[in-house]
Amino acid sequence: MILMILILVLLFGGIAAGFSGRMNTMLPRWISVGAIAINLFISLWMAAQPNTNSSPWLLQLKLNWIPSFGISFHLALDGISLLMIILTFFLGIIAVAISWNEIHFRVGFFHFNLLWVLAGITGVFLTMDLFLFYFFWEVMLIPMYFLIGIWGHENRQYAAYKFFIFTQASGLLMLMSIIALYFVHGQATDQYTFNYFDLLGTSMNKQTAQWIMLGFLAAFVVKLPVIPFHTWLPDAHTEAPTAGSLILAGLLLKTGAYGLIRFILPLFPEQSAAIAPVAMALGVTGIVYGAVQAYGQTDLKRLIAYSSVSHMGFVMLGVFALTEIALQGVVMQMITHGISTGALFIIAGLLYERIRTRDVTQMGGFWKSIPVASVITLIFAMASLGLPGLGNFVAEFLTLIGSWSANKTMTLIATIGIVFATAYSLRIMQKVFLGKSRLEHHQSLADLTARERLILLPLVIVIILLGVHPQPAIDLAKDGLQKTLNREFQAPKEPKIINPNYQTLTVPATEKGVHHE
Amino acid sequence: MTLNLFYFLSFLAVLSALMVVFSKNPVYSVLYLIITFFTIAGHYILLDAQFLAVVHVIVYAGAIMVLFLYVIMLLNLNRESEPHKSNILKFAAVICAGLLLVVLVGSLKGTEAIVQQSGKAGIGYVKTLGEVMFKEFLLPFEITSILLLAAMVGAVMLGKSEKTNDTI
Amino acid sequence: MNRSDLYSLTPLLILSSAAILNFFSISIKRNHKVIFAITVLSLIGDFIFLTSYSLYHQQHIDPLLVVDGFGIFNIGLILLTTLVVALMSYAYFEQREERKEEYYILLILAALGACIMVISKHFVSFFLGLEVLSVSLYSLIAYLRTRERSDEAGIKYLILAAFSSAFLLFGMSLIYATTGKMDFGGIGYYLTTTQDIPLIMMAGLGMLIVGAGFKLGVVPFHMWTPDVYEGAPTPVTAFIATVSKGGMIALLVRFFNAINGYQYESFTNLFTVLSIASMFVGNILALRQTNLKRILAYSSISHIGYLLVAFLSGGSMGAQATTFYLVAYFITTLGAFGIIATLSDQHRDAELIDDYRGLLWRRPLTAVAFSAMLLSLAGIPLTAGFIAKFYVITAGIGTQHWLLVFCLVVNSVIGLYYYIKIIAVMFDQKLQIKSAKELHPLVYVISSVTIAVLAVFLFWLGVSPEGMLSLIDDVI
Repeated sequence: MILMILILVLLFGGIAAGFSGRMNTMLPRWISVGAIAINLFISLWMAAQPNTNSSPWLLQLKLNWIPSFGISFHLALDGISLLMIILTFFLGIIAVAISWNEIHFRVGFFHFNLLWVLAGITGVFLTMDLFLFYFFWEVMLIPMYFLIGIWGHENRQYAAYKFFIFTQASGLLMLMSIIALYFVHGQATDQYTFNYFDLLGTSMNKQTAQWIMLGFLAAFVVKLPVIPFHTWLPDAHTEAPTAGSLILAGLLLKTGAYGLIRFILPLFPEQSAAIAPVAMALGVTGIVYGAVQAYGQTDLKRLIAYSSVSHMGFVMLGVFALTEIALQGVVMQMITHGISTGALFIIAGLLYERIRTRDVTQMGGFWKSIPVASVITLIFAMASLGLPGLGNFVAEFLTLIGSWSANKTMTLIATIGIVFATAYSLRIMQKVFLGKSRLEHHQSLADLTARERLILLPLVIVIILLGVHPQPAIDLAKDGLQKTLNREFQAPKEPKIINPNYQTLTVPATEKGVHHE
Repeated sequence: MTLNLFYFLSFLAVLSALMVVFSKNPVYSVLYLIITFFTIAGHYILLDAQFLAVVHVIVYAGAIMVLFLYVIMLLNLNRESEPHKSNILKFAAVICAGLLLVVLVGSLKGTEAIVQQSGKAGIGYVKTLGEVMFKEFLLPFEITSILLLAAMVGAVMLGKSEKTNDTI
Repeated sequence: MNRSDLYSLTPLLILSSAAILNFFSISIKRNHKVIFAITVLSLIGDFIFLTSYSLYHQQHIDPLLVVDGFGIFNIGLILLTTLVVALMSYAYFEQREERKEEYYILLILAALGACIMVISKHFVSFFLGLEVLSVSLYSLIAYLRTRERSDEAGIKYLILAAFSSAFLLFGMSLIYATTGKMDFGGIGYYLTTTQDIPLIMMAGLGMLIVGAGFKLGVVPFHMWTPDVYEGAPTPVTAFIATVSKGGMIALLVRFFNAINGYQYESFTNLFTVLSIASMFVGNILALRQTNLKRILAYSSISHIGYLLVAFLSGGSMGAQATTFYLVAYFITTLGAFGIIATLSDQHRDAELIDDYRGLLWRRPLTAVAFSAMLLSLAGIPLTAGFIAKFYVITAGIGTQHWLLVFCLVVNSVIGLYYYIKIIAVMFDQKLQIKSAKELHPLVYVISSVTIAVLAVFLFWLGVSPEGMLSLIDDVI
């Protein structure tokens, strides 16, 4: 039930924020902060509980939804999803805080969209029913489309279209695959269901499995994004408002990575092993290409966006290395990239608020006038290039160790990619904060206000904490990852549903909904 | 005898139908069309369908053709006022009609004798028709009245002139 | 005709009495409110009466009609749709100068025709029902005589519908010539006795499909759709898009199930071509339009294409998917046209995309409802359109129609582009003040409540479709 509450709080919070926007512009902001804070608190509390159970599943909830199709409202939580939702709520609060002064236009509707995106993302991280997964997958797109399309920068319409159409097209391919899987499983066992645990281990011939997997893969690689499906990303990230960029980079991309780990690997173990070399090659290409592109950009947000492409290449590399250490690295990468890139976008947004441009050629020599911002940027630029002691180093290091055993050439090239990362990270520092000032009235440039410091400080703390003491996060994800790789995924203990009719076996929400084991 | 009559009527029907298309003067076309209708009515009589023949003459040759004539006269059509039709359009029309002809001839040629299990004598008589219509097909007969009602309401509504609007 | 036959036909009788009652009311005194009240009340009463039937009701009124669950469901759908059309018509016609009263008579008669169509199992009743519907529509389309485009639309529809009726009749007579039967069951029986269909019957069925294709507006018989949609008064457009097309689909489902048409490859191939052509042509032509009614017209062409995917799947799954898609499509289309009707003023309809610029900031709730309708047309989750599209894809994949499903997916993406283009226009921040003559507030209340109810249904079906799914499962 707690899982359901997480989603409901966001949905209803969103509606409340939307309506309260008519009365007062401050109210939606406070409602949003409140709703997300409740969720963050709940998820942290869940993380604090010791998991004594042998199963990796901490919590689950299963309600009937559309029994005619064997669709249930099935949520479950394991270590990986827990980490992801904590990240979601953490970045969610930051996103509300950062738009406190940025958004003045239709504040209520903005927060409605923000909370619904978060609800969709939370749903994606929790759901264990493929239909429901697709449902949430799409639910998060529309509000995101609005966030970019209404509150974005100059070229927002184009970027919003591109984002929406890319993700929709790939999503529909995934829907086709989901339905095909449903029928393959149904014809084999006479049990028509969209339940993830039932569909695991569906026997099918190689050809079918290959096609079905490609459908799933399409959705995830577009979202991640992997070269050559990345072209929506620089536009969307650049044109979105700061909060939108933060959520796109920090969370939306992670749903692609999460999908790879949660669905591709367990559902199609043989096929994913078969395409692993290609996938790793694409990942490595992404690392190098993203870094090279990032170095060439003059638009600060575009630069950061391409650095995301580069970092997500590590995810692709790590996932298809198919080793546990690499997967650990991937999970760490998902978290640390969310925080570090999110922070960089926030800084880009703050600079934009002050000087009304994102063009790095018009910046320079800001260190003197805004020292605090400069130091913080330095920290995150260092994180981005993988400086030891910061979270990203742990992530990239684990990924590289893990993939070394799988494919040495690829790993070597990826390591070279890190060198490029150094180049573009330092370029940010050099162009923006060092060198000669190109602004005439940079005396008026104000340093970070207390609110802004308050936003960035937690990000700094977390990225350092993850760098020096990543063990809790690794432990949390470990169990789930092991099971994923060893293909011994099992459903949480629960009466097995055999009758496709489902009528007699409805699990009442109040009694069976929650087992906190 | 019947066969000869059939050939004669058919010849007349085809000839006058061709004349409808080829006459330069639209009024002549209409008149040829009336001849076509009469010959077809002759066919109906040959087939023992007197009622249909009578109705055909009254409705088509009578009502509809008179209407056609009126419209043509009112519009005062002649060669100058005729809208220009491009050759492509004519070509397309010929092809479409030709294809339809091929399909129909082909499908009719393949069939031997068309089944006629319900061909009892006197099926075309008014009496038989009346019996079927008021017994078996009473409901559709009633529905036809609704159809006429709808047409009437529409016609009156659309045809009424704007001026009388306020007085009613 | 005995008592139980009459009992089963009562819904039709109520409709015809409502039309006659309207006549009397007009002859006493012309009053828009009274006529409107009679129409709405009789439609509601009719629907309530309809709910008294059991879903397993089965009454054969030989040789013409069969009142069964499927028929009752479709009659219910037609009645409710007509009710919504009538509700949105009040505000629309109240602000116009023309005589408004006959409109409701024609509307009721058109609905009656559609009802006859969906319960017919015989060519005679099918044709009569269709003609009652079409003849009423001719004058409904040309109803606003003072507008120049409505004449054009009316004439266009008249000629093409008459043309398609001719094809239908020709097809029917060819089929009769072969089989000696005019009822669907008899034709089906004849087909079971022969190995392959005689050529002449094939030609007859082909012509039947041409005639039906005209009514449905599938490519290549779609030419009339945009012009008629644009020229007709908006509520009438909504009626054509829903009842007229839906009735034909329901009839096709019944006919094809009776003659088991799915086993003949030539027909399935024909429908596959029609479906794919409709999807692509409809969506691609819609991309360049700037007139909302034309966009919706082209979108309806492609939606019929999607519907044919479900139709082609055949079996009970296909019929259920078709019916569910119809329900979702009805709700969505009514909502979209309802909103266009509400925003129209007395001179012209709000049909240009520019009329909607910045609508979100002027009338937020309307804009949100309209966005929901458009998203439902695009098949985005939380809306009925999504479940419907999901059902269609499921039916298609379940019967291995991979090509069709793939085309559907490609077209969904193409379609998405112009739907969100409209939404983007509504969300445009440039404010454009437009003043319209305020009507009596109640008028807006009726329209707004109708649209709100439709929007609620839209989300309800999108989030919790189980009730509707099992209802459809029961009737088929």
